[in-house]
Amino acid sequence: MKFAWPPIVPRWALAAFVLVVAALAVAPAALDLSIYSKNLVTLAFLMISGALAWNWMGGFVGQVSFGHAALFGVGGFVAARLMIMEPPAPAPLAWLVGGIAAGIFSLGAHPMLRLRGPYFSIATIGVGEAARLLFTYWEDFTGGSSGLSLPIDVEMKDRLYFWGLGLAALVVAASFLIRRSTLGLQLLAIKADVDAAADVGVNATFYQDLVFALSAVVVGITGGLYAAYFSFIEPGDMFGFDRSIAFVLMSVIGGVGTVLGPVLGAIVFVLLRQFLLASYPQLYLGLYGLLLIFIILFEPLGLTGLALRLARAVRRRARREPRESLA
Amino acid sequence: MDRFVDLAVSAVLLAGLYATMAYGLGLIYGVLRVVNLAHGGVIMAGAYLGWILHGWLGLDPYLAIPLVVGVTFLLGVLTYRVLVRHLPRGAAGGPASLLLLFGVWLVLRNAAYLLFSGNDQTIRTAYSTRAIPLLGSYVSVNRLAVLAIAVVTPAALQLLLKRTYLGRAIRAVAQNADSCTLVGIDVERIYTITFGLGTALAGLAGLLSATIFSFNPGFGSGELLKSFVVVVLGGLGSVFGTGIAALVLAVVEVFAILVLPSYLTAAVGFVMLVLVLVFRPGGLFGQRVLG
Repeated sequence: MKFAWPPIVPRWALAAFVLVVAALAVAPAALDLSIYSKNLVTLAFLMISGALAWNWMGGFVGQVSFGHAALFGVGGFVAARLMIMEPPAPAPLAWLVGGIAAGIFSLGAHPMLRLRGPYFSIATIGVGEAARLLFTYWEDFTGGSSGLSLPIDVEMKDRLYFWGLGLAALVVAASFLIRRSTLGLQLLAIKADVDAAADVGVNATFYQDLVFALSAVVVGITGGLYAAYFSFIEPGDMFGFDRSIAFVLMSVIGGVGTVLGPVLGAIVFVLLRQFLLASYPQLYLGLYGLLLIFIILFEPLGLTGLALRLARAVRRRARREPRESLA
Repeated sequence: MDRFVDLAVSAVLLAGLYATMAYGLGLIYGVLRVVNLAHGGVIMAGAYLGWILHGWLGLDPYLAIPLVVGVTFLLGVLTYRVLVRHLPRGAAGGPASLLLLFGVWLVLRNAAYLLFSGNDQTIRTAYSTRAIPLLGSYVSVNRLAVLAIAVVTPAALQLLLKRTYLGRAIRAVAQNADSCTLVGIDVERIYTITFGLGTALAGLAGLLSATIFSFNPGFGSGELLKSFVVVVLGGLGSVFGTGIAALVLAVVEVFAILVLPSYLTAAVGFVMLVLVLVFRPGGLFGQRVLG
């Protein structure tokens, strides 16, 4: 039997993807990156994974969650607990279990998924804030407001770059596949009109549960890696409202509902945050606010929309120029 | 038994504040179908306005009401004219308007940090700690005044909506904006005024909260969620429903102290919000808020 190339992935996209991942894999050794920049890139990998996973729900299904910090926190604390118990669990296993725990946690949100639009968003704020208070109160598990410290392992930081890269690459590939597959079309139908989608035979309830659980697993795993990255976590940060907002912001900056958008958004977010916290910590919140306002008013697709607009302008100019030379 | 009466009295007093917070959110949603996420930010702004007027000019917070209401009304008008007007309305504008108004909230919060730092502030007046005996327990004069204003405000709002031309126009626009254009109602103007009114009510609620609680630039997020519980629970368009819903929330919150550690009582409102949205999306009195 001849192998048929799956039509949903263009060859050029696959080639570009492999090239970028390979370049990033050899970058630390080839470019002799400093520890600082290597850590920053690792953080970007984690945020890319989180932003894309949020986007599965917020962009593909159209259910904007303001409570993903709860999933991030559950994954992070379960993984951290497993890594500091005696004898410690191997880190990758701990991350995976953390992700699965977050996935199970997300199934509790099942009744909320029939809420649409703003109601879903507001309900997720409620769940997120309730989770923050409960987990801060549950000191035996999370260490309360003093948090948990993980054993500092220098080699771990080194390896985390590659774990992060692997996770981000997997999530990018998965996003692309979801977008281009039948599943992606069904999600698009749910986003456009959930009732009409159900009428033509899309099992809206099942797919929303599935995508939310997948999103939760990935965000949970990200939380576990994040815990290992910082070696110290506390519920106020992991479950905080600002954390939930970060997931939203990254996707909105880059372009909600696209695949490359959240990737770009996460990179911009990490760099901007690093720069702002270092130079203008007092303007940090407001600048994000202004950014949100400008993007929503002028370019709802964020950086991706800007890039598309630029591409169109260039193409138009290219088409016009020969005619002008004739005249 | 004494403790029971104490708790019941404080629940009633708290309910007045919750109802005041919720009117603005409900009004804007009812007419524009926009969830005003900046609501919490305006509550915070109202609190700081009262604090400035009291601290710098020595103005009593209750005498500052017209000023605060006026300034936050203008803030609402500005927000609508400059920002919200350009959004698609209804279901399509849902996530966009949420994110936009969330941006406004972040800007307001940041402005407050820059101007007043992150420290907790309070408005202390000569009568802040005075209390009078009522039903066998002592009740703070301040909280009674807040309750009185919380009763007068909806009555005034109801009069405005039912008896004036403007109020009739607002209700007509809430029912069907397209038909309003046909009969010569300036829909954009009504939207502007409604957004201003809703924002002014949030400012008033903020000022009233500031006479009771301490506040900082992060103040308002819990208040926003509580307002949302009240609006969803009470159903739209019913001032009476809003009052009852506020009472339900306040009673549940206050009596939770008996069974829950005090740290967790704040979570009660959030849990209630989710339960109400999931199980009673039509509100307690059957008027549908959704759909």
